[in-house]
Amino acid sequence: MANIAAQRIKREFKEVIKSEEVAKCAIKLELVNDSFTELKGEIAGPPDTPYEGGNFVLEIKVPETYPFNPPKVRFVTKIWHPNISSVTGAICLDILKDQWAAAMTLRTVLLSLQALLSAAEPDDPQDAVVAKQYKENLEMFESTARHWTNIYAGGPDLNKDFNDKIRKLVEMGVEEHQARVALSSYNWDLERATEQLFS
Amino acid sequence: MNTEGDVDSDMECSDNECFGDDSDYYNTDDIDIEQVDPSKNDPEYFEFECLTEEQVERLLNESVELLSNNLQILPSLAKVLLHYHNWNVSEIIGKYRENASQLLINSRVKPSSAPASNNCSRYLTCPVCVLTHSSDKFLSLNCGHLFCKGCWTIHFEVQINQGISTGISCMARECEVLVPEDFVLKLVLQPNIKEKYLQYIFQDYVKSHPQLRFCPGPNCQVVIKSQDTKAKRATCSKCKSIFCFKCGIDYHAPTDCHTIQKWLTKCADDSETANYISAHTKDCPKCHICIEKNGGCNHMQCYNCKYDFCWMCLGDWKAHGSEYYECSRYKENPNIAHESVHAQAREALKKYLHYYERWENHLKSLKLEKETFDKLKTRINQKVMSGRGTWIDWQYLFTAASLLAKCRYTLQYTYPYAYYMDTGPRKELFEYQQAQLEAEIENLSWKIERAETTDRGDLENQMDIAEKRRTTLLKDFLDV
Ligand SMILES: [Zn+2]
Ligand SMILES: [Zn+2]
Ligand SMILES: [Zn+2]
Ligand SMILES: [Zn+2]
Ligand SMILES: [Zn+2]
Ligand SMILES: [Zn+2]
Repeated sequence: MANIAAQRIKREFKEVIKSEEVAKCAIKLELVNDSFTELKGEIAGPPDTPYEGGNFVLEIKVPETYPFNPPKVRFVTKIWHPNISSVTGAICLDILKDQWAAAMTLRTVLLSLQALLSAAEPDDPQDAVVAKQYKENLEMFESTARHWTNIYAGGPDLNKDFNDKIRKLVEMGVEEHQARVALSSYNWDLERATEQLFS
Repeated sequence: MNTEGDVDSDMECSDNECFGDDSDYYNTDDIDIEQVDPSKNDPEYFEFECLTEEQVERLLNESVELLSNNLQILPSLAKVLLHYHNWNVSEIIGKYRENASQLLINSRVKPSSAPASNNCSRYLTCPVCVLTHSSDKFLSLNCGHLFCKGCWTIHFEVQINQGISTGISCMARECEVLVPEDFVLKLVLQPNIKEKYLQYIFQDYVKSHPQLRFCPGPNCQVVIKSQDTKAKRATCSKCKSIFCFKCGIDYHAPTDCHTIQKWLTKCADDSETANYISAHTKDCPKCHICIEKNGGCNHMQCYNCKYDFCWMCLGDWKAHGSEYYECSRYKENPNIAHESVHAQAREALKKYLHYYERWENHLKSLKLEKETFDKLKTRINQKVMSGRGTWIDWQYLFTAASLLAKCRYTLQYTYPYAYYMDTGPRKELFEYQQAQLEAEIENLSWKIERAETTDRGDLENQMDIAEKRRTTLLKDFLDV
């Protein structure tokens, strides 16, 4: 790994550890290996959003050309959000693409991702299904996102109705996550989700 | 200055030259150019120049010099402004007089907020590499964001390797200021990367200049320049590529750039369905013997029963000579609105195939006629060798063949045009003219295939008629 990249990551790691956000438990950064090429990030779901109370784990890969090229970041924790793929965790965010600047840091990235959870941009979607729901049925989107936060990120909000529907599909032999995806995609319409799963 | 008429006529006729070799048709030597506006008589008239890279550099530098003298700014900043404003010098000067600061901010020469203030300590820490160097190792753009020279260099190398040149900006967060050419060249030292940068930046400049187009020919460096930025036919003097000046793809009159793009996409998407029609053989409609099409002409004569028929519609050829040549026209089912979705889809496919078949067929005819022409050339060569006439005696045949190619090329491009036309009197007129052009082209093709036995005056008369039909159609429908 290039010298500058390692230098930078070492410095940035220290910067995040000492930051006030860490003190408030809003963000976290851990080294995965000692060559500084991969890190594990964590952000807390912002208050007054469907992600509140959840903890979201991120995979951060540092390219050789860092910081002249952006880090490669994706959500490891499954999340229901228009700009994040519900399948792969890939993120659509300008600063991780062409708006990256060498003077930005991992702290900037974590804080920007947290901001993205508070303010989605459905017109620049990563996940078309989620974005469509967000635009057409915001309430449905919010309860779905809250349910995913509960299941995958340790959020507090239990949705009995959703869980019942999932259980029905599981009893029919569908894998649980697959059932959740189908129901989420069809606005929790059990009939249509079943149809899609068995067609 | 190179106009269509200047393309030299050559004994050799490649695919492309056939269309460009129209010296006899645009020969204006004996007409006083001052008095006649050539664009009035020729709907395809187009004035353009073919420039080398050096000539383009010179042209761009003239604008750069003009602007930097006028505004008293560095040439490299003038380039940033020119690239941003599509090389419109007067527009930039106007905006500069109005509000210089706003112009410089909008063009990303100056930052939108006040420049970063820097303390004048002897040592600084670079925010990118986080190393401390003496302050003389640091540089900034107009925005005042200081970074060490080593980081600037790596930044440029990374960007250039990703194909970015005019778009390289400052490394600070949310800073939009662009890096001017001289700043990059001062810091990039590797010759191959420098070379790449100069190449990319040149491409960006040409692409942003409304009067310049890269020749689309493979590995061709020629840049075509024209004051007229319309969808006209440009011919590269070096590689002989013929293309539309506006969109850069194969010339497509009378169809416009947007429509031809739609058509080509459709053809690519529907290629599976359309495949079955590309068969080379059909049965004679009278004696049912199998006939292979090996010439470009669509007027077929069965070698068995001598029946004259049309390759496209298999109708009697005699009927095609009449005033309204129906073969090119698609007859829509008048009751289609009341039919089922399925029937409508079938009808839509039928309609598309009608136009596609003709489009494809004329393309094929173009190729076959080129083969016929090559064979003809060999035969004429033999005649000349054995003392029967000279090359000059047969010159008219070559002119006829290239005219035929030009006419058929236009005819081919009338089909996408007609496909997207709304039904109504204008479409009827178009299809009437298209039918007439088609009929005359087939007559010309028939005569050229039998050229050695056809009367020369008769052939020349036919050429004249075909070209008149072509020009008439373009005058009425070429909308550029
Ligand atoms: Zn540095
Ligand atoms: Zn800056
Ligand atoms: Zn060329
Ligand atoms: Zn065009
Ligand atoms: Zn026959
Ligand atoms: Zn016909």
